[in-house]
Amino acid sequence: MDILVQTLADGLVIGAFYSLIALGYTMVFGIIKLLNFAHGDLYMLGAFVGYSLLSMISGSGAGLMGIIVVLLLTMVIVGAIGMGIERVAYRPLLLAPRLSILITALGVSLFLENGSMIAWGAQYQVYPVQLSHDGWNVLGAQITYTQMGLVLISALLMLGLHLFISRTLYGKAMRAIAHDQTACHLMGINVHKVIGLTFFIGASLAAGAGTMAGAYYGTVNFMMGFIIGLKAFTAAVLGGIGSIPGAMLGGLLLGMMETAGTFVFGGSWKDVVAFSLLILILVLKPTGIMGEKVTERM
Amino acid sequence: MKKWGSVITAALLTLSLVVAGCANQGQSSGASGDEIAVGVLLPVTGNNATDGKDMQNAIEMAVKKVNDGGGVLGKKLKIEVADDGCDPQMATTAANKLVSQNVVAVVGGYCSGATLPSSGVFKNANIPMIVPAANSAKLPAQGYDTLFLINGLTPDQAQTAADYMAANQAKKVALIHDNSAYAKDLADFAKASVEKAGGTVVAYEAINPEEKDFSALVTKLKGVAPDATYFTGYYAAGGLMLKQFKQKGVSGLFLVGDGSFSEDIIKIAGADNAEGLLITATPTAEFIEGAEAFTTEYKATYNNLAPGPFSALSYNAVNLLADALKLANSTDHDALKKAIKETKDFKALGQTISFNAQNTLDTSNFAVLKVTGGKFTLAK
Repeated sequence: MDILVQTLADGLVIGAFYSLIALGYTMVFGIIKLLNFAHGDLYMLGAFVGYSLLSMISGSGAGLMGIIVVLLLTMVIVGAIGMGIERVAYRPLLLAPRLSILITALGVSLFLENGSMIAWGAQYQVYPVQLSHDGWNVLGAQITYTQMGLVLISALLMLGLHLFISRTLYGKAMRAIAHDQTACHLMGINVHKVIGLTFFIGASLAAGAGTMAGAYYGTVNFMMGFIIGLKAFTAAVLGGIGSIPGAMLGGLLLGMMETAGTFVFGGSWKDVVAFSLLILILVLKPTGIMGEKVTERM
Repeated sequence: MKKWGSVITAALLTLSLVVAGCANQGQSSGASGDEIAVGVLLPVTGNNATDGKDMQNAIEMAVKKVNDGGGVLGKKLKIEVADDGCDPQMATTAANKLVSQNVVAVVGGYCSGATLPSSGVFKNANIPMIVPAANSAKLPAQGYDTLFLINGLTPDQAQTAADYMAANQAKKVALIHDNSAYAKDLADFAKASVEKAGGTVVAYEAINPEEKDFSALVTKLKGVAPDATYFTGYYAAGGLMLKQFKQKGVSGLFLVGDGSFSEDIIKIAGADNAEGLLITATPTAEFIEGAEAFTTEYKATYNNLAPGPFSALSYNAVNLLADALKLANSTDHDALKKAIKETKDFKALGQTISFNAQNTLDTSNFAVLKVTGGKFTLAK
């Protein structure tokens, strides 16, 4: 019993990170049909920007408030970088074949990884702030306040996003563009502005996950975004690429399945479990759990 | 068309001049002139750059000392550094670069995975290689007469770990490696040694070193309640694992191999979690009697940086080479190879070097260290 609860709790934390990153994948795909493979590196960038900001203020005693402020600041900074990437690398290619823009995304990914290596060094950096590891004992499992906090913050971010998409004018514009970009142009919607905003939101969510992961695990390095980017992509596909509730659900499910898989098969099978799941979904139900049936328009 | 022809001719001429210039440089970097070129092959970028840099510092220090003392054979030693990045492909490229620079001998080799291919390159060029760190049993198994290991071997280290566990009544042992050639070897030998000593291996797991979340694995360990857990990989994953191991309250001792012997493991795990951590390693300069002068000088030279895990060994490697050069009284590859092989009881920091039939140390030099109060000390 205790092992079941423990696995669930650990899976929930990993899943929350996956969900936050998967949201960016899904939103960008929904709006411009691009799989942004540089997205995982924005998570890494978030971890490093948070690391630098915390290093600056940690001398003056960064309490919980400090961490929250750094988190929000990082989200804004990396969000702006995400918008910049869209402006420079993707916008000129919006009308080009999808493959060109996909290759560009891989280029952006390499650029971000190696840029970070030059800026912050290749070694593992230890986060200046380590979160406390006290917690409760629930049915023999160890669940920390930090884990609770991380899941709560992730949930709040996702709730905020959901309200934004469903209740605001910009959210409506996003949904409209996802539906039919050309018609939106004709209706006088500023399509580029909305696409930029989508990138901003996606990048800032990934950056938030990055900062939280840095503070939770304690170390960051320039390659940390690569594998988790692929995992988040898997989560997005699992939930149904293009579907926002799907990304949330997919992340949580993948996190739990991974932890359970590690427990059953052993540590080296962790990634195998995740990617086998991806292959299974692509074969059995390519639209994912919540995805709608789309007709291919090439 | 004519214009293009002349442009190409000019370009080719320039290129040939550049190549000729390089070739000349190559000639002079050998043993000709008043310098003896020594190749240094280390990871100076990537995850293991910290240790690589420490080794490079110690090598530079030793070379300076030899040169200040008049050099060898009336010539100065000059080092050529190549980066192996702990990666087999990079290492091969780097080794070929050193061969093309006509080095007399090579000092280096940190990751066994990268040293395996590079030692082959040097064997083909008949260049002696003295390895201060890498110690996989696969290295001497190749049977190269150019390859000399001055660090104790993986089976020796596994034995040291198993002896310590047995002495501390640890019967149920969990073994974890990170899928690198080195770590898996050490885990395999540890398994054999533990079982030979009458213990049982209750878990044998591999992890991905890029991973940050080991919660599922740690939960699994908690379920089997080991008396001791031995992690054989590098410190980046080791530190995180130790941290999560303590947070989840898993029972038993936590031991790591010498790949995790670095101040960084204490930083990553946090001082509280690292308290009582055990490390099987070749003792660094700080724990070697008679190496105080070396440590002081090292700190003075490299703005108060403490010597790394393989600094003393790297320092020894250069001195051993200088000694062998004197013995051979020549920079000829064959003579030098023979001289290194015939080295008898060479007194170095923390070890007395003689080679056995395998070109490895006659007497191993492993010890168990313990973290107390955020510092490494010799475990009793």
